[in-house]
Amino acid sequence: MADPGFNAFAMAQAQFDKVADLLELDESTRELLRNPLREYHFSIPITMDDGSHKVFRGFRSQHNDARGPGKGGIRFHPQETADTVRALSMWMTWKCAVVDIPLGGAKGGVICNPHNLSMREQEAICRGWVRQIAKNIGPIQDVPAPDVMTNPQHMLWMLDEYEAIHGAKYPGFITGKPVGMGGSLGRTEATGYGVIFTLREALKVKGIDPKDTTASVQGFGNVARHAIQLYTKLGGKVICVSSWDEADQASYSFRRISGINLDELMTITDKFGGIDKEKAKGLGYEVLSGGEWIEQEVDILIPAALENQVREDNVVKISPKVKFLVEGANGPTTPAADKVLIEKNIFVVPDFLANAGGVTCSYFEQVQGNMNYFWDKEEVLTKLDSKMTSAFHAVYDTSVKKKLYMRDAAYVISIMRVAQACHDRGWC
Amino acid sequence: MSSADQQSRFSATLEERNKEINFLHELEELLHDPTLPKEDIFQIVITKMKDAWQFGTICEVRLRYRDKTFDTGGYIEDMPYLSADLIAGEKIVGDIQVTYTAEAPEAEIGPFLKQEKRLLDTIAFRLSDYIYNQRLKKKLASKKVTESLPDKTEWRIVIDMIRKTDPPLFMRLLRKMLHQLNWKGVEEAEMLLAELSIDLKGVEERGTEDENRPLQKRIISNYDDYISAILKLTSENFTEEEILWRVQKWIQNDNTSALIKVLESQGSSLAEISDAIRRFYHLSPEKIELSPSTVKGLRVSLLRRFMTDDLEFIQIAKDYVKLTDFYKLIDKMIFLPGSHGKLGGKSSGVFLAHNILKSSVNNAELPFEVKIPKTWYLTSDCILHYIQFNNLEEIYEQKYRDLEEIRLEYPQVMQLFKEGQFQPDIIKGLSLALDDFGDTPIIVRSSSLLEDQLGAAFSGKYKSLFLANQGTKAEKLNALMDAVAEVYASTFGPDPIEYRTERGLVDFHEEMGIMIMEVVGTRVGDYYFPAFAGVAFSNNEFRWSPRINREDGLLRIVPGLGTRAVDRVSDDYPILIAPGQPQLRVNVTMQESVKYSPKKMDVINLKTNQFQTVDVDALIKEVGIEYPQINNIVSVISNNMLRPPNPIQVDYQEDEFVVTFDGMLNKTHFLQKMHTILQILQNKFRVPVDVEFASDGKDFYLLQCRPQSFTKQNTADVIPTNAPADRIFFSASKHISNGRVPKLRFIVYVDPDAYTSLGTKEEMLEVASVVGKLNKMLPRRKFVLMGPGRWGSRGDIKLGVSVTYSQINNCAMLIEIAKQKGNYKPDLSFGTHFFQDLVESSIRYLPLFLDETESSLNESFIKKSHNLLTDMLPEFTHLSNVVFVTDISEEFDGGSLKVFVNAEQEKALAIIMPESYTEIDDIYDEPSPAFKELGTNIKYNRTAKFIERFVAKMDVDKFKIDSVLYLIPAHAMESDRMLPALLVISSAEGALLEELNSYLNVWNDCLNVVESRVEDNDSERAFEYVIGTDADSELTKFEVAGTYLINQLYPPEKNEFLS
Repeated sequence: MADPGFNAFAMAQAQFDKVADLLELDESTRELLRNPLREYHFSIPITMDDGSHKVFRGFRSQHNDARGPGKGGIRFHPQETADTVRALSMWMTWKCAVVDIPLGGAKGGVICNPHNLSMREQEAICRGWVRQIAKNIGPIQDVPAPDVMTNPQHMLWMLDEYEAIHGAKYPGFITGKPVGMGGSLGRTEATGYGVIFTLREALKVKGIDPKDTTASVQGFGNVARHAIQLYTKLGGKVICVSSWDEADQASYSFRRISGINLDELMTITDKFGGIDKEKAKGLGYEVLSGGEWIEQEVDILIPAALENQVREDNVVKISPKVKFLVEGANGPTTPAADKVLIEKNIFVVPDFLANAGGVTCSYFEQVQGNMNYFWDKEEVLTKLDSKMTSAFHAVYDTSVKKKLYMRDAAYVISIMRVAQACHDRGWC
Repeated sequence: MSSADQQSRFSATLEERNKEINFLHELEELLHDPTLPKEDIFQIVITKMKDAWQFGTICEVRLRYRDKTFDTGGYIEDMPYLSADLIAGEKIVGDIQVTYTAEAPEAEIGPFLKQEKRLLDTIAFRLSDYIYNQRLKKKLASKKVTESLPDKTEWRIVIDMIRKTDPPLFMRLLRKMLHQLNWKGVEEAEMLLAELSIDLKGVEERGTEDENRPLQKRIISNYDDYISAILKLTSENFTEEEILWRVQKWIQNDNTSALIKVLESQGSSLAEISDAIRRFYHLSPEKIELSPSTVKGLRVSLLRRFMTDDLEFIQIAKDYVKLTDFYKLIDKMIFLPGSHGKLGGKSSGVFLAHNILKSSVNNAELPFEVKIPKTWYLTSDCILHYIQFNNLEEIYEQKYRDLEEIRLEYPQVMQLFKEGQFQPDIIKGLSLALDDFGDTPIIVRSSSLLEDQLGAAFSGKYKSLFLANQGTKAEKLNALMDAVAEVYASTFGPDPIEYRTERGLVDFHEEMGIMIMEVVGTRVGDYYFPAFAGVAFSNNEFRWSPRINREDGLLRIVPGLGTRAVDRVSDDYPILIAPGQPQLRVNVTMQESVKYSPKKMDVINLKTNQFQTVDVDALIKEVGIEYPQINNIVSVISNNMLRPPNPIQVDYQEDEFVVTFDGMLNKTHFLQKMHTILQILQNKFRVPVDVEFASDGKDFYLLQCRPQSFTKQNTADVIPTNAPADRIFFSASKHISNGRVPKLRFIVYVDPDAYTSLGTKEEMLEVASVVGKLNKMLPRRKFVLMGPGRWGSRGDIKLGVSVTYSQINNCAMLIEIAKQKGNYKPDLSFGTHFFQDLVESSIRYLPLFLDETESSLNESFIKKSHNLLTDMLPEFTHLSNVVFVTDISEEFDGGSLKVFVNAEQEKALAIIMPESYTEIDDIYDEPSPAFKELGTNIKYNRTAKFIERFVAKMDVDKFKIDSVLYLIPAHAMESDRMLPALLVISSAEGALLEELNSYLNVWNDCLNVVESRVEDNDSERAFEYVIGTDADSELTKFEVAGTYLINQLYPPEKNEFLS
């Protein structure tokens, strides 16, 4: 339950302050980075289906664009607040910086509940939002993307309005578009592959051949599947995967010591990522309880489902054999569990870095849009590999040099990059 | 002769009469046609004659005239025949004979009726007359005599015929004619009438001393004079056409009277009634022109005998149900000889709804046709005969037994019924029905007398069973009989009995009609199913957005059979749509749309002969485009978007589909149609309705229609804003529906975490039984029941406590708690069956989404209090960490729990109130019976109730009050702009009058304050009032303003609607 006293922006600032201390940033830099550079608050008047008029509140927070045009989603949320948008725009700045893509951080939103709006009214809000801020966003200024309760359809409406206002085509204005309408190939693979690119590099620095490793994966959604696919291709062996069973409203772990076969499992999976238990048994899988994925005797754990999955209560069940934990999901590890991981000397690739494949691919979409030239999938994934690889090494090197936990190192390097850019531009 | 035989004979006679008249009419026309030669006339006469005989198709006629013979082609010598001679000038010149070429049932004269003999004689007489006249004409012509015979007018000929063939009818016609003349003001007629009728004048003159003596009937002595006098007057005062038209109509009405007689007699069986209807219709229905009053009378009688005694139903139905509808119905009815049964609630509901919609199509209110599937009916009393036939009488006591016992014994009851035998007549009927259905799957549905009556929706209480209806005839018949027996047994199931007990219906003599209905659908591969089906409510009690009004309705729609829309299924979701606000969908994101879409569908597998649930995906892969309307039912997931399937690109094998009905909603007029249907039905039924429907992809079918259960207490509470935080028990902010919750004393709380961590299924079931026991022990409507997820879960009971309705029916409010676990938020139930029961019983439902920012639950109120469970059910002490029972009054010094709900604000707040708290709403309790008609207009109900109360308390002697009338604008249902008025008839004067005025003013202000609190109005008064001395003169003043319903409040013994 949300605590009424909780303020996302205050929390983001506190997190920043912690790293700023580490980096010994000066006061003016802190002042600059603690707050968004620019913020837009505006009203969006809409004619509703019944002919009445309603005014919606819209926001755009551009936290920092020292490293490049702003990038960040647009949220439709009934409880949207300026502070949430501010906090999220700050996080976008760090996220783009950690993978070293030339983008800044931004975020936007509209206070509305799409459950109370018809599609036509939502379209009107999208177009209204763009009209209000069309001068201050754009492919070389600030690039929106889908977020909570917005989808490719909303993006296309916004793009259309933007292009109508500016009288030209700007496919790079917005990301998250469908393939064929300015979307990028490789988007589905991007996050899962990104996870494995960083794992591969982690194994490399530790001198371990992926072929000699085994892994257990939590989740069987898009991220998990592509992670399994690439990891298996590298020679690794996934022996356990957990999935959510919609009918039982419970999750199960599926184990086969000889290694799971992704293609085989896909044939017995429903569209929620639920694996058919009976059929799995028939294929030689053991069906275990949902929580057992974490207890497996493997080298690598990949939580790729939900947040708060590695907790104080189950982190102790992790086998001594486990050496790596790669966070495919957002926030899978609780702070308390982090401490245990450090004690156990498990190498963690933090979510911030491990699942940055998604935002990197968004960047590629924007680049392709600006050129109006679209790469084939292989090119996208190759470029992704190189971005993720160098991002990993930058974080890793920092962690080694400064003796930092990987999670802290990731923050340090990204804030450092942004502070540097501001400084070089003479802003602080 | 049995009464049935008599009846049918009587009807037969009537039928013949009409044939005769028609024929005689034609005969006269023929004989007066100078252009036709004699021979042609003879041939035409004998051909046409055939139809006037009872069995016209096997009737043959031969006419011999001098040396010539005319016949109708197939005359056979050896069969019994009727014969009449043709006589011209006292000489036999020929004869005319009628025979049947095949065996016909024995009647009065061999296979012939007496009337038929008389008719033949009449024909022979007319033909003889004609022959004689022709001969005469010839002779006269040869003598060049130009004087012609006096020409008889046509109507006279008809009347003469009737006089010869049916003297009683002739007399009746004459009497009617006389009345007609009298009406027209013909003086002689009045005199003649006086001759005939009982002399009332005489009575007055006689004085009072003889008042006990019966009045004398005048006996007419000279008939012929009398008759010719009337006939003469008739011809003088009416035109030929007028007379003929009247005579014809009277004859028809005369026919109807037989049907009416049968219908009005309580003793006549269904067999007799259907016979009467059939006979009636054989008198060529298209020609029947009955007076509106006769038609109405017939309709009402038929409705009462076939459908229900419920006056409200009849009141509505009589305007829409035509006689022909009954005529069509009787062929599909199965009943035993001597049956007095009815069709039952469900059948009546759908029958009426269909007729209403048909008439709306005719008025162009509804621009398309709505069908109902082919249906056969077993009348309601068949179950009684079945019980008797199988010696199962002891079952009748079942309903008075302990519920637990009933539950326990139910399986045996089911077995007993299934082992029973059906009477041969029923088997024959069922067999006929099966022949009619062919190989189409059927559904056997209950249609009990109680079911679907206004105010009592037995939704899902009795069984409905699907039959694939495949295999040999014997197999099909066995399956059908088995299903009927099972539905019969369900009458004695625990849930229906519980439900009846609860609403005081247990003593009602329940009978169970059965509908055997064709399943709407098409065959696709081995499967049979409708493209889509569902249920629609005219009132939306499940509003997911504050922008949706109750009146926008609610649609639950699924692919395949409608079972999954009607029933609660724990693992699947129907598509929900508010027809009045189709653009406001429940699911907005693609993830939501995927998650809350129907994944499975019910079909009938024709190969395995079974009802089956299949995976929608698998079915689409299997049958693809064969699925009717598939592209309007599903959307394709592509590029993280839901798109309508593109007919060129779509690949049913490879693409990913989600059932959304988007195509149907966006590209077809389905929703408008549905909305129109709901509105029409609601208007005509005068209550909110729910309908079940299905479509085979081409046509729209109505499967059921019944009044939607509704509560009258749906005003929004004012949510207190100043409640101290430590007194707030819970607050909720999502899916709030209005509805008053009474003051509560107890909380029954099933701890969601403790419940989910119970190790075994047995323990979870134990929780359900504890809840059931508490439900019986705690005071009715004085406790709130709170628990995890879905109350009434069937399959995965981890989702919620697996209770049935009868285990929770005493609570005042049912709360489902949703608490997020990880990213998983438990789903709350969207079930209809249960939900409707809750609405019916005014049990409020509230979902508590604890993860919403404005939602909270103060568990410590419960956890810190004494758990009564250990005192009440010591044997379940081991569950005292799962089930908590709290007595608020005990814990909070006589306090109580009050739940305020306001759907407009999407807010509910439960506050512990001090002992001193009394509810202002108590006054709205139940609507005054006298104002029942006001239906759903809460405002008037409330005002009425209030006024009734204070009038009852008024000191009528002191204020010299003679009477008090309460006037409500007649259109209070539609509008609440006009204020109700109070008319006080009092002789008070001076200071007393002033006091009375101020008394009324105080109450007026008082009530206005209450009104403005709940209604958000800004009027200065709650009602108008007038004090006067004469009711009649005061009332006329109101008539100027509009029409009012008037209720006499004082003196109370006159309490009733006056107008």
